[in-house]
Amino acid sequence: MSDEIQQRFEERLARYQATIALEPTDRMIVGGTGSNYFAEVYAGYTRQEIMYDINKWMAAESKFAEDFPEIDMLRSGRIWAPIFDSVGFKLYRLPGRDLPANTDFQFVEGEWMKADEYDLLIKNPIEFLMEYRLPRVLGELKERGSARSYMAFLKGGMAYMLMAQVMRERVLNLEKKHGLPQPSQGVILAPFDTLADGYRGLQGIMTDLFERPDKVLEACDALIPDSVNCSLMTADPLKRYPIFIPLHRGNHPFLSPKQFETFYWPSLFKALTLLLEAGYTVRAYLEGDWTTNWHHWNQFPRGKILCDIDNKADISRAKKEIGNNVCLAGGILDRMFIFGTPEEIRSRVKELCETAGKDGGLILNGGCGIPYSTKPENFRAYIEATLEYGKYSDTVKPKLKKAPPPSVAKIPSPRVITPWEVKLKELGGVTGDETLIKGIWQMSEQRAFCWLRFWDW
Amino acid sequence: MAKLTDLAQALVNLEKERVNAIVEDKLKKGILPLEIVKELNDGMIEIGERFASCEYFISELLYSSHIMKEIMERLEPLFGQTDLSESGNIVVIGTVKGDIHDIGKNIVVTLLKNAGFRVIDMGIDVPADQFAEKLKETGAKALGLSCLLNIAFQEMKNVVDTLRRTGIRDRVKVIVGGQPTDEKVREYVGADYYAPDAVAGVKICKEIYTEQ
Repeated sequence: MSDEIQQRFEERLARYQATIALEPTDRMIVGGTGSNYFAEVYAGYTRQEIMYDINKWMAAESKFAEDFPEIDMLRSGRIWAPIFDSVGFKLYRLPGRDLPANTDFQFVEGEWMKADEYDLLIKNPIEFLMEYRLPRVLGELKERGSARSYMAFLKGGMAYMLMAQVMRERVLNLEKKHGLPQPSQGVILAPFDTLADGYRGLQGIMTDLFERPDKVLEACDALIPDSVNCSLMTADPLKRYPIFIPLHRGNHPFLSPKQFETFYWPSLFKALTLLLEAGYTVRAYLEGDWTTNWHHWNQFPRGKILCDIDNKADISRAKKEIGNNVCLAGGILDRMFIFGTPEEIRSRVKELCETAGKDGGLILNGGCGIPYSTKPENFRAYIEATLEYGKYSDTVKPKLKKAPPPSVAKIPSPRVITPWEVKLKELGGVTGDETLIKGIWQMSEQRAFCWLRFWDW
Repeated sequence: MAKLTDLAQALVNLEKERVNAIVEDKLKKGILPLEIVKELNDGMIEIGERFASCEYFISELLYSSHIMKEIMERLEPLFGQTDLSESGNIVVIGTVKGDIHDIGKNIVVTLLKNAGFRVIDMGIDVPADQFAEKLKETGAKALGLSCLLNIAFQEMKNVVDTLRRTGIRDRVKVIVGGQPTDEKVREYVGADYYAPDAVAGVKICKEIYTEQ
């Protein structure tokens, strides 16, 4: 990486970190979306090509970075489809496989855990996953014990490692070639959403709130340790980037405020607190309308969370009610990017820069992303207007933050299937340096364990 | 609204066991299943009202549907050939092609049924010509188009264009709704109404049939 690119990378990252921390910066972030769908399709590839062909995905991101060099970060897409094919994952329909090649991938709603299986999940999550849920959600496992099912585990594991490599290459391409940091790295789901999305399904979880509320609460708590550990495993080891959390069922009108406070928030708060204690920041997509529930975000320490506000909620109100504690992103309606005019975009950017964004802590964005069908001239107008009206200071130069020292005392030890101690006992001790064997054993066990949870959603 | 019966009230209170017990008791007493369903419908209407006034949420709405579904499974074999759909007010509804999300649409369907409409739910990922065919076949005057993804705007417009091309645009009112929609989207699509939420969608359908 040239010194110039390195410097640009550090400036952008420092600006992003300061914005999240609600500290003074030189200007507003440009293109600070966590999901730049527009960048995926801008170069002209189909959605299928982007999801299946890493070279095209990287070429698409490079093209976008070259044509819009003012953006401060880039993350386009999140799915590398071959991993889903390796095991026949049933929770998504994919472009070019189940949908027309140029349609967005979509989540399939369903019931993948039965109402009477809560105790299995709570008492022994591994047995529950292996025996019940994975054979349901991974089509390649349908004939238990068959050669095909063993191959599926192998292929799925290989695809998991390949995907990690693919993502690393993408991130390095953006960092080293274009000086672009990531808006997030690593992901976690709210425990309630884990249950609601890929386990019980929406109808199931809503029934459970009335028929087995204690089990829902127990299950949410039971999911926390593994969710936290598996997200830490995929997070940026240097702690430069926030960990991403999309929030699905915490919005109005899915749950009443009381149900939200009882079922949704406590386990989410515990999980995110553990991530903050581990030294990370968090980027949360408040999908849908969170107005009635977003005040809870004031419970977190100041300057550690970035909340994306969706189309249905009012960013100015969010700024008043939680903007003193968390950084916000949003404010430009998706439809403005899609069929608005450059003048409309300019006027909206100007308005927000002069009001909600005037003291910082705001990243202008669509509703949790920049839409696929954004008009290029609208994106250009957004960039230019943000640079023109989003200036704060000529003298402030944010500095890169050092990774906070680890304070992992409260984080539960990562769960594994076969702990090293068990293996060591089976071996009857080792003849040479135990640490050499133990280290890789534990790492493989932990990764394999997180592979099981990869299929949560 | 008149005072609810014990059965309707038990449903409104989401007391599943009590609902089941009252239904069994009524059946033993020889009360016709259709009468029982009418009482339950009163309860569902009240639940819809509570949802409209933010006293109930999707959680309560889905749970009441779950209770109703179980009761209907019990009652349906007893109906014989009775046609349950009494209203001639038909609403065709579906999620447009390219979008497979249906939670919002299903809530509208529940509320429309509660309000006495005959609902033809086309499901998800519905091509424009299928909407047009179904509208022709049924003579429905209201079409609800739902989406969650903003990629669906173009397809919603395509549906409206298809209705125009097939000569039925003038006799069908088109309502758009879903997370990314708003008045500007309605304008772009060329629809007649934008429903900001499920309750508004039901109100619009009532207006359409009252006007006509």
